[in-house]
Amino acid sequence: MPGSERTTKKLAQRIDLTYFKRPHPFRTWRFWLSVAAPAIAILWIAWYGVAGSNRVYSGGKMSRAHAVLAAKCDACHLRQASSFSAKASDQACLSCHDGPIHHTNQAFTPNCSSCHEEHQGRMRLAATADASCTQCHANLRTTGEPTRYVREIENFGSGHPEFAALRPGAVDPGTIKLNHAVHLKKNLKGPNGEPLQLDCDDCHRPPTSMQPLRFGSATGVPVSIAQKSDLPIAISERAYMAPVTYAKHCVACHGLQFDKRFTESAPHDTPQVIHTFLIQKFQLYIATHPAELREVGPDRTLPQKPLPVAVRVLTRDQWIAERVSESEELLWRKTCKQCHALSTPTDGGLPTVAKSNITARWMPHADFNHERHQMLKCTECHAGALTSHETADILLPGIATCEKCHHSGSDSAEARCFECHTYHDWTKQKEVKGKLMLSGIGE
Amino acid sequence: MRIDNTHKKWFAASLIIFGVATAVYVPYAAHSPSGPRGGSAVGLTFGIIGSAFMVFAGLLAARKKVPVWRLGRAQSWMRGHLWLGLLSLPIIFFHAGFKFGGPLTSVLMVLVIIVVASGVFGAALQHYLPRVMTAQAPGETIFEQIDHVREQLAAEADHLVQSATGAAEPAREEGRRGLSLAVQSEVAVDEKLAPLRNFYELEVRPFLESGGKGQLLLSDSDRARTAFEGLKTLLPTGAHETAKRLEAICEEERQLHRESRIHYWLHGWLMMHIPLSFALLLLGCVHAITALRY
Repeated sequence: MPGSERTTKKLAQRIDLTYFKRPHPFRTWRFWLSVAAPAIAILWIAWYGVAGSNRVYSGGKMSRAHAVLAAKCDACHLRQASSFSAKASDQACLSCHDGPIHHTNQAFTPNCSSCHEEHQGRMRLAATADASCTQCHANLRTTGEPTRYVREIENFGSGHPEFAALRPGAVDPGTIKLNHAVHLKKNLKGPNGEPLQLDCDDCHRPPTSMQPLRFGSATGVPVSIAQKSDLPIAISERAYMAPVTYAKHCVACHGLQFDKRFTESAPHDTPQVIHTFLIQKFQLYIATHPAELREVGPDRTLPQKPLPVAVRVLTRDQWIAERVSESEELLWRKTCKQCHALSTPTDGGLPTVAKSNITARWMPHADFNHERHQMLKCTECHAGALTSHETADILLPGIATCEKCHHSGSDSAEARCFECHTYHDWTKQKEVKGKLMLSGIGE
Repeated sequence: MRIDNTHKKWFAASLIIFGVATAVYVPYAAHSPSGPRGGSAVGLTFGIIGSAFMVFAGLLAARKKVPVWRLGRAQSWMRGHLWLGLLSLPIIFFHAGFKFGGPLTSVLMVLVIIVVASGVFGAALQHYLPRVMTAQAPGETIFEQIDHVREQLAAEADHLVQSATGAAEPAREEGRRGLSLAVQSEVAVDEKLAPLRNFYELEVRPFLESGGKGQLLLSDSDRARTAFEGLKTLLPTGAHETAKRLEAICEEERQLHRESRIHYWLHGWLMMHIPLSFALLLLGCVHAITALRY
């Protein structure tokens, strides 16, 4: 074998001592590849430079809202004169849209980009991380007055308090006496005396609902929650249920009968209006029925002791006053009082009706959208409605109900803060005058 | 380089650095308002550390250019190259928040992954293949000398056969391909040695000229041994020594084939690792400058 035949000297003599002067193709290839790879990299960068584009330096795809600015880096990356830096500043953001302050007594105002991070792909910039909120709310400090809000909230599942409306001592401020349990009973008497079963949406609909009510009237004026709201949140017209109104939802079953002589109801209005209405009604009536000014009393004749029948002849004004008084007695003491809280003055004047105080939104600092939850049965969340007898009962579902779907984990509905809360107080929004030109974007 | 006990300290240090980096990254990523970002203070720190590791790893090439400078032992540089280069991958992932970002950063991430992966692959090869080479090619020579040695082996074989059979000295042209054995038919050759000459012309010479390509009879050690055993049965005892030496030359040729093949495995990955490392360092500089700006 070679080992036995080859001496070290012989092996050494086989070596060409000038081999290192001739580079092996293997090394030559490695050298040229080492030159080519950086050269290709430089050419790639230079190609963008020649084309006048900085997109190669982009940190990632722009959000949906800013996608049109993908080729217009300097729309956000403003470069100050004689400055190397061209970082996106709040100034650039605010030149297109205002970002009102969160609270006047906030201790810290973050930069726009610290919550709304761009170049993260086609995502919603408003979909901020919980950490954006908890950087303050996990250990809330404020300037000026001490805050009344909970100071330590980690996320929806940790530290978030029960909704304010459901905390101990909270009651529905509404004054309309409504018994949900009775209204949801089977075999209620319908407008024409037929038995029926009411459903939630027979009374509770979003303001813009176009579906006719089963037992309601279409004559009512839609109430806009958005118009009623003085809150810093833009509200969809289908997000909240419109407050129940007598004219739309109650009138079909709950007529305001005031006298057997009339089939029509009294108007659902203030006592003063009703009083005027009654006078006018009876004035017209007696004008066409003057015979009723002579009132024959009840026959009190006994078998062995006949008595004369009492007959009263009233003036027109007397008759009207008596009829109005009787009708108002019926209305103020029974019909109106069935739902409203009335207070009658001691001098016998017209009663005053307490304001209904129907709460349009129970969570003033959070956004909720009934339309997004329309796949659920109403009583899945508002289970209390089936058993509630008192007006003071608050039928808002608690945080535990929300957490059945909105919790952490991949198999859950969104549970980050932004799902319900808005950082910016949009009531303080200022109008912005745009500066970009169509020719400068969407290249 | 073998990954042996001498790497213990480097391994432990790397593990500690990785552990500390992870311990910093996890809470940072969990509590950053908009997630981990390369531009944040922590992200930037990771970026600087990761880049420094890569630059150090890249400096190995420069260190090799000046072997006589007193800049620490070459083995220490190689260990640093291995472990810090490997660490640069998770550190850069921490820097980027495990996102690829835009065009330049995506290319950088792909490059760093390929460079580190090819480095790990190369380190594994460098760990195992030298032992394989020692076992399979004990007559290892300088890689660049293999072709030169092959020519000498062929010439030696020619001379051996010519001496034994009395054939004319082979007319060797320049280069191995031109090698030919011009046997002069008029020269009397011992008919008993004809099998040797025939075997040489039909099997040995084509094998020595093949340069390891193709599946020839003598390419395989077992088949070669059998063939030479058969040849010896046809030869007079006095020619057995020649056959034995020819067999040894063929074995040496096979070892050179194996050495050549193992060498390409041992160093082939560098064809990807080194050029892409240069591109990575260059684009990394561009990224650092533009990131500071934007």
